[in-house]
Amino acid sequence: MSASQFDPIPMLASEPAAAPTPAASEEPNPIREAIAEAISEHKVILFMKGTPEAPACGFSARTVAVLQALEVPFAAVDILPDPRLRAELSAISNWPTIPQLFADGELIGGCDIVVEMYESGELAEALQ
Amino acid sequence: MPSTQDIKQRIEAGIPGSRAEVQDTTGGGDHFSAVVTAPAFEGLSRIEQHRLVYDVFGAEVGGAIHALALRTRAPSTATTPTH
Repeated sequence: MSASQFDPIPMLASEPAAAPTPAASEEPNPIREAIAEAISEHKVILFMKGTPEAPACGFSARTVAVLQALEVPFAAVDILPDPRLRAELSAISNWPTIPQLFADGELIGGCDIVVEMYESGELAEALQ
Repeated sequence: MPSTQDIKQRIEAGIPGSRAEVQDTTGGGDHFSAVVTAPAFEGLSRIEQHRLVYDVFGAEVGGAIHALALRTRAPSTATTPTH
């Protein structure tokens, strides 16, 4: 039963920018709730491919490197083990790509924005 | 497999008045980087500017287009675009 409940998810994964179907938003959605909770509970949280120790994508690696350069403590979530994580995250954030950095519950951006803000000095301010 | 020209034309058609410089970062037709200048970016945050560009491609970003690295500028804040 729970398996059929998640039937729309593969479709969302291939259309991350699409709004969730009305049915999906009315159903209990434990994955989305868990992601939302993680975002609200951590001051700085990075959703990435792989882990900070072993990033699985250059964009995730660069974002981790920036956070480490600023010596900012951050939580990290590897979205690769379950495609639903990425689909639900993108549905919450309205952002199609990974990584995604959140601070104080707000999406800061992906790799490009994080690097640009690091270079301009804005990132240190935003993560304080 | 989209070319840099395809990506450029789609951005410039999708965002009126915009100018895009697009590179294929791996040569494989699925990782691109773009510098986009558009009047529509005026007054928007970086996140909102990037969303406008991502919206041109919908599900293709993260799908057939594995990566689209972006630098966005409003014309009034545009610095020398070549670097």
